[in-house]
Amino acid sequence: MNLNIDAIKNQTFDAIVIGSGISGGWAAKELTEKGLRVAVLERGREIKHIEGYETTLKDPWEFAHRGRVTNMAAEEYWANMRTGYTPGEEHRYLFENDKQNPYIEKKGGFDWIRAYHTGGKSLLWGRQSYRLNKSDFEANLKEGVGIDWPIRYEDLAPWYTYVEKFAGISGQAEGLDVLPDSHFLPAMAMTAPETHFKNAVKSKLGRPVTIGRVAHLTKPGPQHTAVGRASCQYRNKCMRGCPYGGYFSSLSATLPAAARTGRLTMVHNAIVSEIIFDEQSQKAKGVRVIDQNTLAVKEYYAKIIFVNAGAIPSASILMNSKSSRFPNGLGNDSDQLGRNIMDHHLGVGASASVEGFKDDYFFGNRPNGLYIPRFRNWGKDKRDYLRGFGYQGGASRAGWGRGVGMDGFGASFKEELTQPGNWSIGFGGFGEILPNENNRFTLSDQKDKWGLPVLSFEAEFGANELKMREDMMNDAAEMLEAAGFKNISTYNSQTTHIGLGIHEMGTARMGRDPKTSVLNKNNQVHAVKNVFMTDGAAMVSASCVNPSLTYMALTARAADFAVNELKKRNL
Amino acid sequence: MNRRDALSKVALLLGGTLTGPTLLAMSRVAEAKSAQSLGDTFALNETHRKIVAEVAEHIIPKTTTPGAKDAGVPAFIEMMLNDCYKKPEHNSFVVGLVELEKKNFLAQNHDAQVAILKQVEADTKELLKAYNIKQVKVGDNVDKESMDGKLGVPFWRLMKELTLLGYYTSEVGIKASFVYEPVPGKFVLTKLKPGQKAYQY
Repeated sequence: MNLNIDAIKNQTFDAIVIGSGISGGWAAKELTEKGLRVAVLERGREIKHIEGYETTLKDPWEFAHRGRVTNMAAEEYWANMRTGYTPGEEHRYLFENDKQNPYIEKKGGFDWIRAYHTGGKSLLWGRQSYRLNKSDFEANLKEGVGIDWPIRYEDLAPWYTYVEKFAGISGQAEGLDVLPDSHFLPAMAMTAPETHFKNAVKSKLGRPVTIGRVAHLTKPGPQHTAVGRASCQYRNKCMRGCPYGGYFSSLSATLPAAARTGRLTMVHNAIVSEIIFDEQSQKAKGVRVIDQNTLAVKEYYAKIIFVNAGAIPSASILMNSKSSRFPNGLGNDSDQLGRNIMDHHLGVGASASVEGFKDDYFFGNRPNGLYIPRFRNWGKDKRDYLRGFGYQGGASRAGWGRGVGMDGFGASFKEELTQPGNWSIGFGGFGEILPNENNRFTLSDQKDKWGLPVLSFEAEFGANELKMREDMMNDAAEMLEAAGFKNISTYNSQTTHIGLGIHEMGTARMGRDPKTSVLNKNNQVHAVKNVFMTDGAAMVSASCVNPSLTYMALTARAADFAVNELKKRNL
Repeated sequence: MNRRDALSKVALLLGGTLTGPTLLAMSRVAEAKSAQSLGDTFALNETHRKIVAEVAEHIIPKTTTPGAKDAGVPAFIEMMLNDCYKKPEHNSFVVGLVELEKKNFLAQNHDAQVAILKQVEADTKELLKAYNIKQVKVGDNVDKESMDGKLGVPFWRLMKELTLLGYYTSEVGIKASFVYEPVPGKFVLTKLKPGQKAYQY
């Protein structure tokens, strides 16, 4: 009996955070720093900062296949193969094996790229960090698309600043309404052809071009060094894990901050199967987890639960949490759980060769490029589709790989390839996807090896996205032409799916009305107020900018609200 | 995630804009979901091994710096064909070797070997045109080539690509060819001096 009581005590915390990725790490940091005892439940294996990055310091020749994908890996990582880069030998150890983690594609295809380990995809993200703008929060209402955001830019602005200071965002202030400035660390440099491009596009087309805004420490402050982070080393080997903590991740930043409070308990290999709903209090009382290795089932209890497993897993946990009050999944009175899957559509743009600039070179491998903010349907511009897109790209000099397509071989060929080749430049679009209730996933009847439902996706691009892609392709070419670049070639991939951007969003959207949304303006599940969701699931619209910074701000804001509510005994 | 960055990272690892038989083969692997193809194994006979070594050394000869053989390229090529390519490339690669064997390649002197390989390069260019290869951009710095999946990438393209990959990513190849800076510590604009080697990171 005593044993039992002790066990329950050991498994009881003030707060549970499900997932240790980019938003879970923030929930852990904020809640522990505000005095709560927090358990972070991570479904994957433990990876330790620095020592766990097994490939990070390897030289190119230490990779047996020099980074390439073997036939064996290609079959095991079939969904990852669609990205073209995630199954590479350098960083495959941080991505999930798709054969062992199956999912069903019913219509349209869906690219589901997963990373189950400490820090999740925060170890692997593109680090591009942008604020949503005022119009992003208002467009749904104005245009009658989906539902209205229950918050506005002003609600989130102080929290953007708050998370930016801790995360460290490098960028250039531009004073643009379309791309609100962050609290910046010094910007990275543009190469000579990039500066030429920026000036030409500004003077000829009136469009601003800026250096990418990235979560890299270009000049660490005391808040960064205090958790053990150092300046970016410009290796551009970020996806292997950074031993310097040069870029923001849960492992380099938020989890160490949470750990130093002495109030953090990390639990690994803990797959949350469901949230336990208490009919009497109409609140969640804890979660049930399955050990991914032993299959042992265990329960954890807490006053509040933050669900930060990633947009798809977070919504699936709620769907799988069935009770007599919620037969279709916890908090799913609106039937919106799992719907409105959004992402950014990409694989469309243009590239060109750059003549001249022969004596311009650079030292260092910049983990960043240029950013062209949205200009379509902005200001006086009006198109026959809604919303818009931004571009990411940049210029570089060709390496030895150019030799494959060159004529010749032998001594002079060999010598030539040791020198930098010509410059080339290219930009790819990132387009906004509109929320659509029919783009969704459901729990199938099939079970995975833990006895949990295999997810089934049906999602496809709509007419708005397809129309936008024409502009995304042609506008890129137009800008390259304005800069005088040659041999412009355009592309518009017809084979991409939703999910390829790895920006899954919208599966448990916020809203004012419990009949049409899952979460309220404070990211609480409408009908279960002690459950919060602050990852991509909460997004009401997608904007066209990379979303992680917004998840961070939403999480810090919701954690602050949750702790205040706890203090007021409202939860 | 930032596609451009990640895709160009792959390109960078491979040394820049890799037009690709490599990527072509990769994409075909991705499409072939059946497990049966995993059984394909690939091994060269001794004569073919010698031809591969000689051809690789012609592409990247030993000069004042080490050559393809010094960098272990011949064995690397065979291993890569086995681990990362499938039947169509296994076939096309051997077809190329058999043709060289017929021309008594190993018995020729240096200049005659060079002449044969120049002809092979010219023929390959024509062959690739006939294959109706379409360039599909999948990222800013990554091209994907599409062509009939049953046709293997021709011998010469495979040979050249794998020789360059094997050499310029080997320890001797990198250190002899480039200024290797695995931890640059900064990103700054510079001016290129005449004859300056490229940085590798």
